[in-house]
Amino acid sequence: MTAPNDATAPTRRTFLALSGATAGLASLGMAAWAQNNVEIDVDAVTNTTHATDVLVIGGGMAGLFAAVKAHDAGAATMIVSKGRLGSSGLTPFGKGFFVFDPATETGTIGDFVAAVSRSALGTNNPVYTRQLAEHSLDRARELTDWGFFDQTLANRPFMRPITERAIPLLERVVITHLIKEDGRIAGAAGFRLDAEETVTIRAKSVILCTGAGGFKPNGFPLGDLTHDGSIMAYQIGAKITGKEWNDGHSTRSTNPAACYDGWGDMFERIPSTNGVEVHHDLGVDINYRAYMTGNPVAGGPGAEQPTDEIAGGPFVPEEFKNRAPPEGGGPGGKGGAPGGPPPGFSPGANVGGASAGMAIHKSEGLVPVDDRCASNIPGLYAAGDALGSHMAGGIYTQIGSSLAGSAVQGAIAGEAAAEYAGLADTPVIPDARIAEIVAEILAPLRREAGYGPAWVTQTLQGIMIPNFVLYIKKGTMMQAALAYVEELRDHHAPMLRAANMHELRLAFETRNMILSAEMKLRASLMRTESRCSHYRLDYPELDDENWRAWINIHQSADGSMQLEKQPFDAWPI
Amino acid sequence: MTIKSINGCIGCEECVKSCPCDVIRMERGKAVIAYPADCQICHLCRMYCPVDAIEMAPEKSIPVIVPWG
Amino acid sequence: MKLSARTFAIIAGVAIFVGLPLLFYALGDAPRRTILKEALSILTLLAFTMMLGQFFLARSNETLLSLFRPPQIQKVHKVIAYTAIGVIFLHPALIVLPRFLEGGIRPWDAFVTMITDWGNLGIVLGLVAWGVMVVLGVTVFFRKNLIPRFTLRYRGWRYFHGALAVSFTILALWHSIALGRHTDLAMSVFFVTLALLGFALLARLYWAAAPKKPSNALISGGAAT
Repeated sequence: MTAPNDATAPTRRTFLALSGATAGLASLGMAAWAQNNVEIDVDAVTNTTHATDVLVIGGGMAGLFAAVKAHDAGAATMIVSKGRLGSSGLTPFGKGFFVFDPATETGTIGDFVAAVSRSALGTNNPVYTRQLAEHSLDRARELTDWGFFDQTLANRPFMRPITERAIPLLERVVITHLIKEDGRIAGAAGFRLDAEETVTIRAKSVILCTGAGGFKPNGFPLGDLTHDGSIMAYQIGAKITGKEWNDGHSTRSTNPAACYDGWGDMFERIPSTNGVEVHHDLGVDINYRAYMTGNPVAGGPGAEQPTDEIAGGPFVPEEFKNRAPPEGGGPGGKGGAPGGPPPGFSPGANVGGASAGMAIHKSEGLVPVDDRCASNIPGLYAAGDALGSHMAGGIYTQIGSSLAGSAVQGAIAGEAAAEYAGLADTPVIPDARIAEIVAEILAPLRREAGYGPAWVTQTLQGIMIPNFVLYIKKGTMMQAALAYVEELRDHHAPMLRAANMHELRLAFETRNMILSAEMKLRASLMRTESRCSHYRLDYPELDDENWRAWINIHQSADGSMQLEKQPFDAWPI
Repeated sequence: MTIKSINGCIGCEECVKSCPCDVIRMERGKAVIAYPADCQICHLCRMYCPVDAIEMAPEKSIPVIVPWG
Repeated sequence: MKLSARTFAIIAGVAIFVGLPLLFYALGDAPRRTILKEALSILTLLAFTMMLGQFFLARSNETLLSLFRPPQIQKVHKVIAYTAIGVIFLHPALIVLPRFLEGGIRPWDAFVTMITDWGNLGIVLGLVAWGVMVVLGVTVFFRKNLIPRFTLRYRGWRYFHGALAVSFTILALWHSIALGRHTDLAMSVFFVTLALLGFALLARLYWAAAPKKPSNALISGGAAT
C-alpha cells in the first residue's frame, strides 16, 4: 500500500476543480497557447471598398466635429468607427465641457493660457491652449443646438448633424491599417465586426479621431481604446509624442473593474459647461503615497483621509498647492473625459491604475507639425486625444478641457483636411498592396494555433500596471519591464490567434497595446527628470536645463523605435 | 459577472451597437451576452436599452489586476 | 350552503387569477429591479391575467351562473375589464416612464425606438394586440349604439365581442411569451392554460347556441320586418 504522502499532488477533487477552471478560462479566450478553432470560413471573407475625400476615423467628440466641418468645407466626408457614434471611447463619459465665455470671465484668454502654462510647467503647447479657449464657445453653441446638453446619451444629438448632412457612417468597423502611397496618405483598411468582411477605404485625407488608449485597465471606461490611431500612424512613419505622461485615476478596492459604480452617478449625468478653473491635478501623488506608506486608504470610501505630509514625491507649484479636488466633485470633468475628482483623484479611492496605459488627455498621440492638427505625413491629421497637441500639458490643468478640446481640434482638423483634399489628387492604391493588407488583417484568423489575445493582454497588464513600473518610475525596473514587453512584441504579437471577428479585434488591440507599452517605457526612460505626471524615483527633480522639451517617437527605416527631443514652444523640424 | 442578464429583449440591437467593447451580439433575434470577459461595466448597454431589459453586476468575470491593494 | 359555495368561488377565483401569477412571479428568476419597476411589472401581469379571467366571468361560465345573478357577474366583468384595459392601454408607456427618474435614454426616445422596432414579431404582435384591445374597449363603451346594428342584435354583438377577445388574447399571449421579462416557462404554461380553458368555455357556449342560431336569426329577422 502506497502512502499518500505527496502533499503537493492534487487530489482528484482539486484536480477536477483546476481543470474546470482552466476550461472556463479557455472558453473566455483566456488560454495562452492553443489550437485556433476558427469559427468562420476565412477564404470566404470578402472585401468591400469605399472612396471619399476626407475619412474620419473615430466616432467621439473629435470625430463628430471633424466630419461636420470637413463636410461643410465642401469635402466628401465619411466616418468610420469601431463602435457607435457618441457611444465609444471616452466621449460618452465626459460630462464637463469647458467654455471660455468672454462675457462672464474676469480674465483674458492670455491670462488663461499663462495660468495653464504655469501649472503645466511649460509642458503645454500654448498655441493649442489658446485655440481651445478661442473656439470652445462656438463648439458649445453647436452642441447646444444638437441637443447634447439636454440628455445623458450622446448618440442621438451626435446623429443630428450627421443625418442632416447625409454623411456616410460606417459603424462597428475596426480600422487596422493606414495606407500611405507616394509619401502621402491614401486611405485606411480594416474589417467589420458583424460580417466576415474586410473594408478598404480610399481617401485623399484621413483624420484620426481614435482617442487615446490604455492597457484595458479596470475601473476606467477605456476598454475599447488601445491607441489604435497612433500605432497605425507610427507604422507608416508618423511621429508620436507624450508617451511618458500618466493619467493617475484610481478606483475602488472592492470591485475595482466596476467603472460605472466607481464613478457614482457620473455616467448618468447630463453634460454641462464650466468656465476657467485651472488646477494641477496629479494623481501620481496618490501613487507615491501608496508606494511609500502602503495602501493609503485601506479603510475604503468614507474613511479618514490622510493628512500627514509624505517627504519627497511629485513637485507641485506653490500657486497650485492646497487645491485638493473638492469632495464629490462638480459637474466639471477632469480634462473632460471621466471628470470630476470623485473616485478618480481623491485618495479615498483605494487602488490606483484605473486608467493604466493612458497619458494625460491631449498630451499623447501624433505630433502636430502646425497649429492645424497636421502630422508629418501629408494628408494625415489627428484631433482630440489622438493628437499629441499638449493642449493642457503633461498634467490635468483646466477642468472640462478634454471634451471641449476634442470638439475644437476636431473642427480645425476637419477644415484643414478638407482644404488639403481639395488640392490633392485622388490616390491610387495598387491591387497588390490591398491584397497584402487584407492578408495582414486576416492573418490571426489563419493561424492554426497561437496565443490568445486576452491572455497576452493580461500578461501585459501584469507587467505594466503595478505601481512600481509606470507610476513610480525607476530606470532598472523600466529596463526589466521593457525586456518583457520586447518579448511580447517579438514572440507573441506575431503569433496572436483569432477564432472570429471579435477575437480579431482583440488581436489587433493587443498588438497596439504592446507597442504603446514599449513607447511608454522608452519615453519614460529617456526623460531623466520628474515633471508633472511623469515621476522618477531616480530623477526626482525638475531639470529645466535639459528637459524643457517633449519626446517624439518614430519608426526608423530598420523598424526600430527612435526617440528625439523637441523643445517646448517649437514645432518639429 | 459584469453584464448579468438580458430579460425582455425586443431585439432592437441598441445594446449591441452601443457597447464599446463588443460584448453583446444578436442570436435568433435576441441580444445575448457573447463575450462577458470584455465587459468594462460602463452600463451604456443598460442605459441605451429602450425596454430596460439589461441587469448589471459590479463583479468582473476574470481576475482583475490592480497596481496595489 | 349556497353562500359558502359563493365564497368558495370567489376565493378560488382570487387564488387562480391573483395568487398564481404572483406565485409564478415570485418563483421566476428575472432579476428584481426598483420597487416602482417591479410594481409596474406586477400590475401588468395581473392586468393580463384579469383579461384572461374575463372568459370565466361571463355567460360561458355555467358554474358561476348557477351561483350568482347575471347582472352581478356582468358588473364585476365590466369593472375588472375596464381596469385591466386601462392598465394594458398604458403598458407601452409604463415600460419607459421609469426612465424619467434615471439617466440614460429619455422616455420618449425609448418609446419611439420600441414601437418602431417592426422587424421584431413580438413587437408587431404587441402593437396589433394593443390595437385590438382598444377596439374592444371602445366598442364595449358604445355597445348600446352598436348592438342594434348587428343583424343578430345581441347575439351578433356577443360573437363580435368574443371574437375580439379571442384575437386579443392570442396576440397578447404570443407577444408576452415572445418578449415578457417574467413570462418564463411556468408563467407561459399558466397563461396558455387559462386561455385555452377560456376559449373552450366560449366555444361550448357558441356550439351549444349554434343549432338554435337559424331559428333565432329567423325570429329576430322576422321581428325586424
